[in-house]
Amino acid sequence: MEGLLFYILAAFILVFSLAVIVVANPIFSALFLVLSMISLAFMFFLLQAYFIATVQLIVYAGAVMVLFLMVLMLFDLKKEIDIFSSGQRLGGLKIASAGLLTGLLLWSIHYSIGLFQLQPEKVLDAQGQMEQTKTLSVILFTKYLFAFEALGFLLLLIAIGVVALSRIKGGTHARD
Amino acid sequence: METLLPILFLFVFVVIFGSFLVFIASKFGPKVKAPSQVKEESYECGLEVQESKTTKISIRFYLTAILFILFDIEIIFMYPWAVAYKDFLGSGKGLYIFLGMGVFLAIFIYGLFWEIKSKALEWE
Amino acid sequence: MGSDILEISINAIKLIVIFLLMVQLVPFLVWVERRGSAFIQNRFGPNRVGPLGLLQLLADAIKFLWKEEFVPQKGRAFLFYAAPVVALLPGALAFAAIPLSVPVYLEKFELFGQTWGPYRIAIQGYELGIGIVFVLDASSLGAYSLLMAGWGSSNKYSLLGALRASAQVISYELSLGLSLVGVLLLYQSFDFSDIISAQVGPLSFFFAGHDVKVPFLPNWGIFYQPLGALLFFAATFAETNRLPFDLPEAESELVAGYHTEYGGLKMLMFYIGEYGHMLVASALMVTFFFGGYHIPFISIEGVRTFFLDHGFSLNGSNLLTSLVFHLVFLLKVLFFLWVFIWVRWTLPRFRYDQLMDLGWKVMLPWALCNTIVTALVLLVAKEARF
Repeated sequence: MEGLLFYILAAFILVFSLAVIVVANPIFSALFLVLSMISLAFMFFLLQAYFIATVQLIVYAGAVMVLFLMVLMLFDLKKEIDIFSSGQRLGGLKIASAGLLTGLLLWSIHYSIGLFQLQPEKVLDAQGQMEQTKTLSVILFTKYLFAFEALGFLLLLIAIGVVALSRIKGGTHARD
Repeated sequence: METLLPILFLFVFVVIFGSFLVFIASKFGPKVKAPSQVKEESYECGLEVQESKTTKISIRFYLTAILFILFDIEIIFMYPWAVAYKDFLGSGKGLYIFLGMGVFLAIFIYGLFWEIKSKALEWE
Repeated sequence: MGSDILEISINAIKLIVIFLLMVQLVPFLVWVERRGSAFIQNRFGPNRVGPLGLLQLLADAIKFLWKEEFVPQKGRAFLFYAAPVVALLPGALAFAAIPLSVPVYLEKFELFGQTWGPYRIAIQGYELGIGIVFVLDASSLGAYSLLMAGWGSSNKYSLLGALRASAQVISYELSLGLSLVGVLLLYQSFDFSDIISAQVGPLSFFFAGHDVKVPFLPNWGIFYQPLGALLFFAATFAETNRLPFDLPEAESELVAGYHTEYGGLKMLMFYIGEYGHMLVASALMVTFFFGGYHIPFISIEGVRTFFLDHGFSLNGSNLLTSLVFHLVFLLKVLFFLWVFIWVRWTLPRFRYDQLMDLGWKVMLPWALCNTIVTALVLLVAKEARF
């Protein structure tokens, strides 16, 4: 039963991800990406990684993809799409980058086989889910505290960078 | 598995329920008898529909959305901190965990006030 | 979802009933809203069909069903149809995660000539250890139906309305999420049942080496987190796109915002989504700050023994106890739903820049302040000795 659910979800993720790159209209692409993100979150639920599943939903499905959709819906992208989907040199570049990504993915799968020992199944109830999250946060705030603070600094840099980028010449927000 | 099944069940049920409502609405309602150009146009207060190819939308919407993502990530990190806070207090590491988040929060607050001061969140 | 066929079907039916509870509350709330607004503005409201106009809802539903099917010419038909379906999802998924009453324990009993084992049936759709974050997840998916409707109807007003709505929803989601950090600091759990059971009894806490007890007040979250409660409630108003935050459908500027081109049942589904959001917001308000389904100063055991003493069987009194606490929960929720309606007909609409300023420059800093002060007070309460 559990295995069946896993394969169904995996099939959904694959189909939605394929649709993202096959569908011509970028807005439908983005919507399929949302669906594949949601399926991925369900997959995390299935693997009993509860906090990660919710973070996946909030950050990717709830925040990042909303931004993508907003941008896609409001720009008239005809010209950009035409430019992007034509031309031999660009086509070669696209195939090369796709090949590079596939290679990386295959290599990482090959490399990570046997790296993680799977633990025997243990079904977590509501109490167990809370314990799991607390364990996660203890590790985050002791072992990885420096990385955590560095992340805060990185996010600040991004926030400043975004505002600076929106003010370059020709933008609607430019300072004259 | 035990937690996922009810969620999936409700998800699928709501989608089917909604599709059913949309479906019966299209079955029961009267059909359009005489299709006409005017009727099918999108509503624009009775004026001629104006097509403008280059819709200029204020960049503030994108700015708001990007800043939302950044702050949302920072807030998500406060959740595990909040639920483990009393555990740290209990084991006598209260000041450590307070300052650990304090540094992060200081960066957050600096970012927020910088955004406000730089008028990135200004709407007119 | 259960160990045998009966438990699985009980759980499945429970999920459907909870969803339908949300759906059937809409006609009732629409009636309350119309009569309430008429009462506030000193006019009549619907009073022709049935006693007090109660059957007006039925008439409306039938009318909705017989509306002409209409898709705007250049509309993207699929998105146009999908948007109202998606509008139902966030409210339904979030509401099912909130506990509505005391879990029911059923002893062994005979049914259909078979003995069915002891069950524990939680009166909530699904028991999640990470329930609070899951509710935030579900409500963060709310922006999609707006964007899909706005773009699907290929209408300027719809698109502008959708854009404004989603920018507003995401801005206030920050304050919404941040105002809950204080609650999490206090109760240190993402599980609704933990938070509710922590609010039982009279107000009592530990401060700087002293046990403080206030016997005449219930141990509700509102007394620990008044600012958090205020910020949370204000942010949910913006999340539900209701006045004074209903800029997305400002009639004078945008006709009807993202649902300009919709009519009939599809329009009704957007309403179900909106009222579902309101219901979730009120239920969360009750759960976090007003003791959930508990009655102040009356324990669950007390109610159960009351029923046992009056000649009910063990299973019967368990069920009745759960029913009583569910009604108390509904009563509290209805109060907050009434506040939603009350505010809508009392306050004028914000301007868009005022709205964004309120979200980013007022509520977000205050929510941050609330978080820091809560953490500091907890630290002092634990470490200091007076």
